[in-house]
Amino acid sequence: MGMRAMQEATFLILTALAGGSQHGYGIITDVEQISDGHVRLRAGTLYTALDRLRDDGLIDVDREEIVDNRLRRYYRLTPPGQKRLAHEAARLQANAVAAMSRLHPAGVMR
Amino acid sequence: MTDATELERRYRRLLKCFPARYRREHEQEILSVLMAGAAEGQRRPGLAESADLVMSAFFIWWREVTRQPRWRWERRHRRLIARMRVAIGIWLLVVGVILLSDGYWWGVLMVTPAALHFYLAYRLRHAVQS
Repeated sequence: MGMRAMQEATFLILTALAGGSQHGYGIITDVEQISDGHVRLRAGTLYTALDRLRDDGLIDVDREEIVDNRLRRYYRLTPPGQKRLAHEAARLQANAVAAMSRLHPAGVMR
Repeated sequence: MTDATELERRYRRLLKCFPARYRREHEQEILSVLMAGAAEGQRRPGLAESADLVMSAFFIWWREVTRQPRWRWERRHRRLIARMRVAIGIWLLVVGVILLSDGYWWGVLMVTPAALHFYLAYRLRHAVQS
């Protein structure tokens, strides 16, 4: 897979799974929390992303549970997924550091 | 009919937009996510939510159609099939041009399937060796 910049939703989904396996609705609420309420994934968007991430081998199905007659499928990060997320996080951090240092060149942080 | 079953019935109808193979694997799961996110007493899917589902179904279909060939036969004959697709694409374009020059405006409609064939040929030629 190429190293194109990752979409924010994808990045947040992988981040949600980095703490342990989660089911669909768990990912949605976790992503909302991680993003401080800024990103609320819709079901369709989530499953399109999950389908692609599975195809790319970055996530996999962990297990399935039935709760209140409803199917819950749990997903987990694979080792390539962890690697990719670490790479992406480092890239974003470097970008953020560059932006901050240019906005506050003398090290004056407000 | 309670609000919840009414809502579920409407969600199920929306989920029919997805390819059958995908639905077999994910319909129950997506339905649980949709129902978990529904508001108390909600009877119908929101507009934005419905649009999101239809768009997603389109993406899943698109991926299904353009996914690199998995069949052994098509992989083994990748070059031949790519050439056949290019030939079919050209043929469709020629037919389109003939129709247009005869004054049939709908000859333009040949462009879409021709473009699809060219795209699939391109994907085949650049499929990962496996």
